[in-house]
Amino acid sequence: MLLKIENLQAQIDEKQILKGLNLEINAGEVHAIMGPNGAGKSTLASVLAGKDSYEVTDGLVNFDDHDLLDLSPEERARKGLFLAFQYPVEIPGVSNKLFMQTAVNAVREEQGLPALDMFDFDEYAKDKIALLDMHPDLLERSVNVGFSGGEKKRNDIFQMALLQPKLCILDETDSGLDIDALRLVANGINSLRSAERSFIVVTHYQRLLDYIKPDFVHVLYDGKIIKSGGFELAHELEANGYDEIIKQHQQA
Amino acid sequence: MSNKRTRKISPMATAAVEHYVGLSNSLNTSEVSSGVFAARQHAQSLLLQLAFPTQRDEQWQYTKLVQFVQNRFELPNLNAQKTTLSKDELEQFTPPYERIQLIFVDGVLNCDLSDDLSSLPNGLRIQSMRDELQNSTSVASWFSEDALVFSEPFGVLNTALFTDGFVLNVAENSAIELPVWVLHVQTQDNQISTLTNRVQLARNAELTLVQQFVSLSEVQACTNVVTSIEVANSARMRQVVLQQQAEASFYFHNQFVSQASNSDFNTFYAGMGSVLSRHQNHLSMDGEHIENSQNSACLARQKQVVDSRTHTLHNQEWGASRQLHKYVLADSAVGVFDGMIRVDRQAQKTDGQMDNKNLLLSNTAKMNSKPQLEIYADDVKCSHGSATGQINPDQIFYLQARGIPRSQAIEMITKAFLMEPVETINRSEVKNWVGKQLSNALLTGGYFSGGDK
Ligand SMILES: Nc1ncnc2c1ncn2[C@@H]1O[C@H](COP(=O)(O)OP(=O)(O)OP(=O)(O)O)[C@@H](O)[C@H]1O
Ligand SMILES: [Mg+2]
Repeated sequence: MLLKIENLQAQIDEKQILKGLNLEINAGEVHAIMGPNGAGKSTLASVLAGKDSYEVTDGLVNFDDHDLLDLSPEERARKGLFLAFQYPVEIPGVSNKLFMQTAVNAVREEQGLPALDMFDFDEYAKDKIALLDMHPDLLERSVNVGFSGGEKKRNDIFQMALLQPKLCILDETDSGLDIDALRLVANGINSLRSAERSFIVVTHYQRLLDYIKPDFVHVLYDGKIIKSGGFELAHELEANGYDEIIKQHQQA
Repeated sequence: MSNKRTRKISPMATAAVEHYVGLSNSLNTSEVSSGVFAARQHAQSLLLQLAFPTQRDEQWQYTKLVQFVQNRFELPNLNAQKTTLSKDELEQFTPPYERIQLIFVDGVLNCDLSDDLSSLPNGLRIQSMRDELQNSTSVASWFSEDALVFSEPFGVLNTALFTDGFVLNVAENSAIELPVWVLHVQTQDNQISTLTNRVQLARNAELTLVQQFVSLSEVQACTNVVTSIEVANSARMRQVVLQQQAEASFYFHNQFVSQASNSDFNTFYAGMGSVLSRHQNHLSMDGEHIENSQNSACLARQKQVVDSRTHTLHNQEWGASRQLHKYVLADSAVGVFDGMIRVDRQAQKTDGQMDNKNLLLSNTAKMNSKPQLEIYADDVKCSHGSATGQINPDQIFYLQARGIPRSQAIEMITKAFLMEPVETINRSEVKNWVGKQLSNALLTGGYFSGGDK
């Protein structure tokens, strides 16, 4: 098993957000997480990536035989956990290329591989740029500064393609994308699918899922997963919304 | 001239003033030309009258001179003609690009280490101020009693004590290919180096000037400079000033710049050293269609005070001025930025922009920023802004989430912040060199360890 979350509880500013969440993901699986606004989806993603403004109050997370909660954010990334942010951050003055070269080399160091110099990196990045149809200009510019919403999302998926992580967590990567960009991003994701690599895809819409066909769909509500199913659950949610499922959950 | 004191002056300041007036008198020997003699006397009387500014002076509120006033800096030994700096010692400061070089050691031009001033490229003339004072009769006219230099306390002290400096002229239509690099090295403890520089670019001339201030060891010394720059019609001047003196030293630099029509002036200041430093541009735009750009990158830690000021006068139509000033402050450092853009009634179509951005690396560092506009014309485009803050934790997390260690993430973000104004330096070899000096100071200067080096 690649990821095992048991009874995860987390709070921010004294407010309990995750209230005993369980989830198991095997290598190669694609899991979609859906749920109403404020349910705690981004919180789950942030806690897994190690954001320190969240306090984990209980629970266990095992990732690839590591106690995930014991690792710093950079160690998690180096061991193969990747988060595509709901809101990718702008970093003025740091070139996107230097950023990614540094990141790729950090991961390579962890794997005992030699660092890539600027030329090696260019070579390595070339087909990833083509895959996502990134404008070459975006690599020379400061990280995400002045990027359109869609360009930022694409940039995050580009980073994912470069870093070749074991677990990819995508937080609403589809929102804000036009139809062409959505297809490119979906292709990017699909091209990374393999028997070793797993995905958690947080989304509100079925359109991305139609491209990537998840193995499992979960409904996250009020800090817990209240229903899990196959791809058909996404169709049901698209048609009927969350009301019925939440009602059932509250009665149970 | 009256020596009547119009201000209340502390015994400490009185003692300092008397010390410096005494030094000034010792320079006013019978060999000195009458013009310089009179200028020094005028400066002495102003010193006695006004002494040094205190915290009650608005312009010095955050730049406290207490520590300076406690010192009694001595004059350099003007007759020590023997080289006090070896070629090897000089090596560490030498930029990796071709240049014309002047080396000042403890405030005096060192002819052995400097280029031969009698064989400079066509169109370029450089003299040491000491020689100029002996040879030139025009010198006296620089020091009329209403000269701008007397409007600044350290301009007054400069005139009272100046012993050397350089006079640089670029002839009409001459573009000087190589940058002129002027290095000032402090080697002696407890000395004050006082330099007066005059730079004149004739019509359509072009020059790149790099002035660098360093210390050979951890001395406590003072450098007080006045640089007057005249940029004639259509002339283009680029200037870089690097201040990297020892951490206990003092630095004061007043620049008086006047620009004529269609000229372009670009100046960059990098402030890294000294316990107290103050760099001031007084820039007067005295013609139409003038462009200029004043930028700075300042770094300070521990108890350093780094002060940088600009005073920009738009006096004629169609002037464009640009400014970006960035500070990175750690520990208990204090940063001061004071910028004034004044637009005269006649200066229609003025386009003035001034930005000051500051990054605090600790909770105890303090930035005092005061950008100001004073506009008397109605058809102008002017803006000013100032922002001070700490690194956004989301930025650090974003880099960490890509595998970059937290400490390296903080360094990358800080360095990127500091480097932005460096981009305004025109010549790439100078730009790269300045960028390297700044990033070395940042990455090896103890900014991220939260303590001593
Ligand atoms: N600093 C904070 N202090 C208090 N509450 C917070 C803080 N940050 C987030 N929250 C709350 O945590 C809850 C979960 O937020 P989260 O961003 O995880 O939701 P989400 O499921 O991702 O929603 P969306 O679909 O809108 O992205 C929300 O109610 C939010 O208001
Ligand atoms: Mg969210």
